[in-house]
Amino acid sequence: MVANPLLGKDLRDFYTAESTRVREEFSARRDGRAAVHGRTALVDSVAHRLWKELVSPDLESPRGFALLALGGYGRRWLFPFSDIDILFLHDGGESDSELRNRVRVFSQEMWDLRLKLSPASRTLSECEKFDPGNVEFAISLLDCRCLAGDQNLFARLHDHIIPKVVARESRAIVQKLTDLTRARYNKFGNTVFHLEPNVKDGPGGLRDYNLALWLALIAAMEEQNVWPEEKTLLPPWLRQRFDDALDFLMSVRCFLHFRHGRDDNTLVWAMQDEAAAARVGVPDDAPLTASEWMRNYFSRARLIHRVAEQLLDEFPAARPSLYRQFQTLRSRLSNAEFAVVDGRIFLQRQEALGDPELPLRMFRFMARHGLSLSSATEHQMEQNLPALTAAPPKGGELWHYLQEILLAPHAADALRTMHSLRLLTLLLPEFQVIDSLVIRDFSHRFTVDEHSFVAIENLHALRKSQSKWDQGYAELLDELEQPELLYLALLLHDTGKATKPTDHIAGSLEIAERCLVRLDLEPSDRETVLFLIKHHLDMGSALRRDIFAPETIAQIAETMGTSERLKMLCLFTYADVKAVNPEALTPWKAENMWQLYIGAANALMRSADRRFHGDVEEEVMAHLRTLMPAAGARLDAFLDGLPRRYLRTQAASDVIRHMEMANRLEQDPVQVELTRGRHWYELTLVTRDRPFLFAKLVGTLAAWGMNIVKATAFSNGAGVVVDTLYFTDRFRTLELNLPEWERFKTSVHDVLMGKADLDRMLRDRLKSEKKTPPKMKVDTRIEIDDECSEQSTLIEVITQDQPGLLYRISSLFARENCNIEIAIIETESQTAIDAFYLTSQGAKLAPGHQERLRHELLTELANK
Amino acid sequence: MMKIEAIIQTSKIDPVKDALHEIGVEGMTVLEARGHGRQKGHTEFYRGREYTVDLIPKIKIELVVADERVEQVVQTIASAARTGKIGDGKIFLSKIDDAIRIRNDERGDSAL
Repeated sequence: MVANPLLGKDLRDFYTAESTRVREEFSARRDGRAAVHGRTALVDSVAHRLWKELVSPDLESPRGFALLALGGYGRRWLFPFSDIDILFLHDGGESDSELRNRVRVFSQEMWDLRLKLSPASRTLSECEKFDPGNVEFAISLLDCRCLAGDQNLFARLHDHIIPKVVARESRAIVQKLTDLTRARYNKFGNTVFHLEPNVKDGPGGLRDYNLALWLALIAAMEEQNVWPEEKTLLPPWLRQRFDDALDFLMSVRCFLHFRHGRDDNTLVWAMQDEAAAARVGVPDDAPLTASEWMRNYFSRARLIHRVAEQLLDEFPAARPSLYRQFQTLRSRLSNAEFAVVDGRIFLQRQEALGDPELPLRMFRFMARHGLSLSSATEHQMEQNLPALTAAPPKGGELWHYLQEILLAPHAADALRTMHSLRLLTLLLPEFQVIDSLVIRDFSHRFTVDEHSFVAIENLHALRKSQSKWDQGYAELLDELEQPELLYLALLLHDTGKATKPTDHIAGSLEIAERCLVRLDLEPSDRETVLFLIKHHLDMGSALRRDIFAPETIAQIAETMGTSERLKMLCLFTYADVKAVNPEALTPWKAENMWQLYIGAANALMRSADRRFHGDVEEEVMAHLRTLMPAAGARLDAFLDGLPRRYLRTQAASDVIRHMEMANRLEQDPVQVELTRGRHWYELTLVTRDRPFLFAKLVGTLAAWGMNIVKATAFSNGAGVVVDTLYFTDRFRTLELNLPEWERFKTSVHDVLMGKADLDRMLRDRLKSEKKTPPKMKVDTRIEIDDECSEQSTLIEVITQDQPGLLYRISSLFARENCNIEIAIIETESQTAIDAFYLTSQGAKLAPGHQERLRHELLTELANK
Repeated sequence: MMKIEAIIQTSKIDPVKDALHEIGVEGMTVLEARGHGRQKGHTEFYRGREYTVDLIPKIKIELVVADERVEQVVQTIASAARTGKIGDGKIFLSKIDDAIRIRNDERGDSAL
């Protein structure tokens, strides 16, 4: 076989002219599908000419030899610079050298045209043998078509061998497809929403489109043993949207290839600008910004990715047996509303969609158990959206479900699915502005909405992390009283990037405020969320300063005001930085942030004694007066001399309540209130200070078998104390016996009035309790700081938590003539962390007194 | 040409970068680092646990400049990074045999 020397030039001229025509047509019409088909037809023409010239003048000859198009070329999807995969199929009749010569000359001519040719040759029997080491070849055969040569030979391959091999080896083929896909997804961070996505290999790109159709084809072949009709591979309701998405991606990829002059499939920012200006893939004429154009990309990529993932997950062969066993176990999660099959949620009754709260219960279920929705359920949700739009859940009901979703371990995945089904933006219209929003920032990797989901995911992942620094942060997360507020703040914190890109915090605050009012959050909770959004960059900025400098620490502590807010903002910063890109939160940054956190936490502890004075803090007083206009001078008297920490940790409504309790002291000198919070009971005592007061109060709770988890104790300038104890009811006395509430309160009242014998109550309790050994040993540490306060001495006691501990410590203080000005009590697992600001006879403790106290405490706490 | 390695306080990275830009130096590598000289470490207690930091967080800047610019760049960095306190950092110089621009194989000073 020898080539005509003029053939090459002739073909080159032909190829160049036709390529230019295809390119010009694309420039004029921006029709990617027409362009790839046009290029395919062009290469087909070249192949036919070469066949006639080099192999046989008859395109259907010779016998026993055929030229096939594979892969993208087989699908008739030749992008301007993509590879051309061909297969020389033969029956083994020719000698090796003859065959090699044909292949060589043919291929050489095509290479001379600068076509990126990837030729292969196989016999029919080789095609029938499945090579586990080269599953890609089997996959490429799924798109084969005959270009020239023996049609019967091709028919034997296409109609008999391929269906037989696929049916026989579907498990191995799909397993390989799964492995390749998971590796590919991993490489792209398992998300569609990159700021500069890859339209071929990225999740939601053209590879995912192919994957979806291959899986559907393999499933059909496995069942029927013949080639199914292509139009039956996907359900009709999905087919049109899928084809529309394909048209868009084809146009984008053609645009990129022509623009770059090579097989470069990344939509970098400059290309996004050009594509938007040229309205690639978008039919109408209205002007489009790059962000708006990218939304077109993301909505299509999201659809393709969702379908590909669902098919991958639903294909039994794709999953190893252990995983299938696990999914079988998970089917036990099914309940009256939701059936769980192979890890996917189905609705038990479709008519249940008439209940507008059902979707929220479903996503809560999804978020709790890490399940996915079946494609049928997703379709039902989409069909139901108009009905839900007419009467969506709102206000407190919506917030109730939303917070349960946010707190669940798989919240991010549930939110992503809600978002892709347009449910999230229906319920939180404020989120619409950042849907698929691209903000050009070299450090950020994801769109703004995806960044928010990743931040939420980062926090939930803390509990499973083995990293040393993550464990510290995970402990903080477990200590939060209202973590749902933190998650909500993360969801909304960057919404302002859509409306005020140069000052996104201001924009986010405006948007969040509207949202929080609509969700009917308590005013104090709204304040917390807005605070977090307002200050979410503060700790990150502080990392660029000297984190050990007192002024840096003091400023952070002052801004946070309370340890709860400090913890929340520290976690917020962790989650936010880590969501910028996977490398953003380096161990260096994580450690520095931790150091800054503990410095600020200690600074807050050491500044707890700073007192409030109304004549100095006009702004605070003015705010409180607007809430309590009738209070007048009584408010000033109550607040004067209370620590500033009191005002920072108490909601305005609680301050009012405490003031009213203080106003009733003339009628009853011991005012006690008891409420049930989400995690703990809360006992509030307002009374006049006296020796042994705190000890008697905590002793009473110990005598009732209550476990004090947290406590605060404050006193004002007039000697009125406000003590709040948060406790758990170890024996469920209050929970199971409503009358015991009053008896408990009366018991506290009587002990403090001297009418009840606390010692006898404690002896009775100790007699009845079994001593259980602690799960972990905690060494006792006593830290004394005489510098941090002008009026009192700070003593920090860290020791093994045990029943009655606080009573023993506070009794010792009282015996040693120490008055507790402020107490801040916390418990972390089996560790009690108690801080007391003490005075003796109205002054700080003398050095000798301090040391005696240390000695007594160590002795007392060593004596079990 | 000379390689300049400067270890500075974390709070000085922006002033140093700005100062270098002002004298027309655009290319540099910035690394997160930890270390100490005579500056003592830091110990903090939190919840009964001791957190000792004896390797203080620092920033290391590396850049290669033509011989005639070395002194100007060193003075610029030192001036921008200086606070006068222990812990300001150090600057090291080493000779570089050659530099190559990957994009177009340019060599020598013009590759800088």
